[in-house]
Amino acid sequence: MILFEHVGKRYGGRFEALANIDFRVQRGEMVFLTGHSGAGKSSLLRLIMLLERPTRGRVLVAGHDIGRLHPSQVPFYRRQIGVVFQDHQLLVDRSIFHNVALPLEIRGVEPREAARRVRAALDKVGLLHREKALPIELSGGEQQRVGIARAVVNKPSLLLADEPTGNLDPQLSADIMALFEDFNRIGTTVMIASHDLALIARLRHRVLRLREGRLIADEEAA
Amino acid sequence: MSRQPPARPRGARSQRTRSTSRFRGWLRHHRAMSLDSARRLLQAPLASLLTMLAIAIALVLPAALWLALDSARLLDAELDESATLTVYLSHGIDEAQAGRIDEAVDAQEGVARTQLISSAEGMAEFQQALGLNDALGRLEHNPLPASIVVVPVDPAPKAVRHLAGELETLSGVDEVRLDLAWLERLRHLAELGSRLALALGVLFGLGVLLVVGNTIRLAVESRRQEIEVVMLIGATHAFVRRPFLYSGAWYGLGGGLLACGLLGLGNQWLATPVSALAASYGATFSLPRLGPEGSATLLLCSTLLGWLGAWIAVSRHLAEVRPR
Repeated sequence: MILFEHVGKRYGGRFEALANIDFRVQRGEMVFLTGHSGAGKSSLLRLIMLLERPTRGRVLVAGHDIGRLHPSQVPFYRRQIGVVFQDHQLLVDRSIFHNVALPLEIRGVEPREAARRVRAALDKVGLLHREKALPIELSGGEQQRVGIARAVVNKPSLLLADEPTGNLDPQLSADIMALFEDFNRIGTTVMIASHDLALIARLRHRVLRLREGRLIADEEAA
Repeated sequence: MSRQPPARPRGARSQRTRSTSRFRGWLRHHRAMSLDSARRLLQAPLASLLTMLAIAIALVLPAALWLALDSARLLDAELDESATLTVYLSHGIDEAQAGRIDEAVDAQEGVARTQLISSAEGMAEFQQALGLNDALGRLEHNPLPASIVVVPVDPAPKAVRHLAGELETLSGVDEVRLDLAWLERLRHLAELGSRLALALGVLFGLGVLLVVGNTIRLAVESRRQEIEVVMLIGATHAFVRRPFLYSGAWYGLGGGLLACGLLGLGNQWLATPVSALAASYGATFSLPRLGPEGSATLLLCSTLLGWLGAWIAVSRHLAEVRPR
């Protein structure tokens, strides 16, 4: 599903965020990406989201070299990926329902069909009863679950998450991770960047370890 | 139901439903964004009104000048009628000869119509115009020659001059007079005016672009996070642009409507003194009005300018958020 070949990323010609990264993630896998802050986790995810382009090597997603995508094709590529952010990135002036509906609105999905899918996604994260609320009225854990609902409402084949449990207490973090495992179980490829080592160790999935922009370990699922 | 053609290839049909549903989705987004952007404008009525007023003021000056030129063009068309030549016949030509010459002139190519003025008629007109009945009455015989007033087909100065040359060669013709200089001067002035209006129109049009562009730039700034999020989840540039383009178009339309209103007010404000002035010259003249066609043109231009200003502002922002 994801293939990195000798990928390097420099910023401003000096700072080397990533160097010679090689790995492959199979379709349907669940992978953790870990390392200290500044190790290059976010940069790696940004390359997959095509927010940035590598300075060396190439990145293949679903068999396509995404470096060769024409700028006009980038939006359609991004629609196949669900992304969960540490700070949720919810739109503060829209209800939970409309936040989750956003990817469908972008795709031009017919409103009745969209409403059905939004409610299904909200139901999956246990927030169907809050659909009319604004993001600010929700707790941090609930906001993160809205972010996950938005990421999966499109039924993406690839789900990326950047520190999804960054600001949550251990119990809430475990709940969020369980949600990701549920989506993985129905066939979604999941890649999660996290520095919560204790939690990752308990979950027993494949772990990619980064240090100072290099891939120092690739531990298979136990 | 039974009339439906059986067993159409499935692939083609699903392709078609997909593209029609995509088109419906596109229309739906247009409708939603036009309403949404209008609502946002109404949420800050004072700020929106000020922007529209700035646009309106930028539009009023060139529009007013254009109107003035339009009425000048009407005047010009009337003046074309007066681009006549006067053919003076030689002395000693009697009425029968004059009639034959008149026929010959009338038959000349480029002549629309003629009017023969005998020497007696010329004298009568002269006396009436100058009020010199007594003085002229004392003259022993009429010193005025017979003349023919010629209305040319083509009132352009070049054509008139050419026609005058031709008429001068006819026998029995003493002199052909044409007074074109003042007409040409007027034409040059009108040309100058219309170029001035065009230059002002372009300048103030740029002004409208800047006003809208700056307003939309601020709107884009305030919705930066929203733009980033929707682009992250796969919004196309067109999708991001759409609400702002509608805002720009609304600003332009509002500005255009205000400009129409201002022009109408100005017309009312000036109508009384202008008609009084015209009456003092013994003429009837009313200020030109924009009319439905002119209003439609003004509104169309202002809306397009608003749209274009927004397009430029948003595109600049979108260029900044491209993947590097």
